[in-house]
Amino acid sequence: MKYALKRIFMLVLTMVIVSFLTFLAFELISGDPAEAMLGTEATPERLAALREELGLNRPFLVRYASWLAGFVSGDLGVSLRYRQPVWDLIAPKLEITLCLCLASFVLITAVSIPLAIWSYRWTGTVFEAVRTAFNQLCMAVPPFFTGILMTYLFGIVLRLFVPGDFPDLHTRFGEAMVHLFFAAVCLGIPRTAMTVRMMRSTVISEMQKAYVRTAISRGNDRHAVLTRHVLKNSLTSAITFLGQTMAELIGGSVVVEQVFGIPGLGRLLVYSISTRDYPVVQTVVVILAFWVVLAGTLADLINQQVDPRLRLGGAA
Amino acid sequence: MLEIRDLHVKFHNRDREAVAGISLTIGDGEIVGLVGESGSGKSVTAMSIAGLLPRKQCDLSGDILLDGEDLLHAPRSALRQIHGRKIGVVFQEPMSAMDPLMKVGEQVGEVLRIHTDLDKNQRRARVLEVMEAVDLHNPEEVYNKYPHELSGGMLQRAMIAAAIVIQPALLLLDEPTTALDVTIQAQILELLKKLNAEQGISMLFISHNLNVVRKLCRRVAVMQRGVLVEEGSTDRVFFDPQHPYTKRLIDAIPTRHGKETV
Repeated sequence: MKYALKRIFMLVLTMVIVSFLTFLAFELISGDPAEAMLGTEATPERLAALREELGLNRPFLVRYASWLAGFVSGDLGVSLRYRQPVWDLIAPKLEITLCLCLASFVLITAVSIPLAIWSYRWTGTVFEAVRTAFNQLCMAVPPFFTGILMTYLFGIVLRLFVPGDFPDLHTRFGEAMVHLFFAAVCLGIPRTAMTVRMMRSTVISEMQKAYVRTAISRGNDRHAVLTRHVLKNSLTSAITFLGQTMAELIGGSVVVEQVFGIPGLGRLLVYSISTRDYPVVQTVVVILAFWVVLAGTLADLINQQVDPRLRLGGAA
Repeated sequence: MLEIRDLHVKFHNRDREAVAGISLTIGDGEIVGLVGESGSGKSVTAMSIAGLLPRKQCDLSGDILLDGEDLLHAPRSALRQIHGRKIGVVFQEPMSAMDPLMKVGEQVGEVLRIHTDLDKNQRRARVLEVMEAVDLHNPEEVYNKYPHELSGGMLQRAMIAAAIVIQPALLLLDEPTTALDVTIQAQILELLKKLNAEQGISMLFISHNLNVVRKLCRRVAVMQRGVLVEEGSTDRVFFDPQHPYTKRLIDAIPTRHGKETV
């Protein structure tokens, strides 16, 4: 419990630092947003008025503080491009991207752990070579390419979803999930392959350990040794790896959203960057950072539940 | 009760046989010591009794009979019924021999879960009883601990408890005191003596330390390079060693007053 509080405090602290650096970076790289909005032919009076309106004349730290306060209270500022509150712009896209990433994450977890165990059992059989080759293939083929193949096969030939026409998440939830499912598979394939490979080698090294010999000496069969002892001992490294996976999925989703025509955060981000819509970009960067830090924290907290040795003040 | 006849073990990746034809019997309620330096084949002998050798990586021949049942050539599935139920094994390093993520009590009761129909509460009751028998005080508390929370000595007691919880006929002890410090070693030896006297469990005690063997065993066998070079009552072997290797082993024992003379 104490450890959990400490981790949560670290998470908040990290987020404050990340948000400050983000704000600072955008302060340095962004030109004058007022000029960007009005174009180069704007009169100095109009520019000054807009700067006043956007609060650009206040000192840096004051603006950071008010931005941070706004962030916490849900007021993320106004998009320079759309003239809409940033949150209203981001929320529906974030919803879709989160659904995509979570679906992908669930698929990766549900598929890779049993697959890792099977592939361990196949060691020394014909399947091993097949598995190794298939695994390499899955890791090597980038998601956008499988995405193109899948949109063609499932979208255009089998008509299971309409590429580019993403159904509304709230009114046509089922159809939206079908659309997301294929994208999630695409996004998850390379990571599943990596998790399988990582976990298989963890299982192999755990099988060499002395406690396995003890378990066998008690009359456990191979299956029981795996499920009752080795699996749990292999889990901590898998959880850490899956935490990193969860963090990386959101980055990978940008490309997959493009391929499947999913109006998620990725598209908004790309568009906002190209139009210098800094309030939007800033918010998305902070949300992405939060996602990454959250994934790591969750992985640590779960690991600590799995492995009692990690509960000693988190020193290990 | 245990009879080893002309046991040969050869690992595929070695030229020399790890065990080159040894024969040894252990009677009911007897504690037999098996001594020899590292690499002499004593652990391999124990592992072949316990069925823990990787069959695909070695050739085995000869016979190992436990109460007339063949342990060496029986199929794995049949052997699993014997292992744990009739043979308990205690290994050298209790810390690594225990599953770090399973509560000590559950590990002690694992054999019962596999080989008996006892329910969880009955198993727990039996585990607490055995923990008491191996002088683990506060068994209730120890039951819920994880291995890293106990000392080496306590863990080795727990390992012994796990090995005897189902009252096996034979206890294989593979250097059970080597990783422990001397005072704890003495306590564990006392415990083993007590268990032997009270429950009549036969034991094969493997050690490179003749002194330890002398405190526990009435009969001792000396192994060198895969063969038994000498066998007899502990006193006889100790005071009248026949084989030069045994003499060297005895001479190597450090004593308090220089060399021990008879």
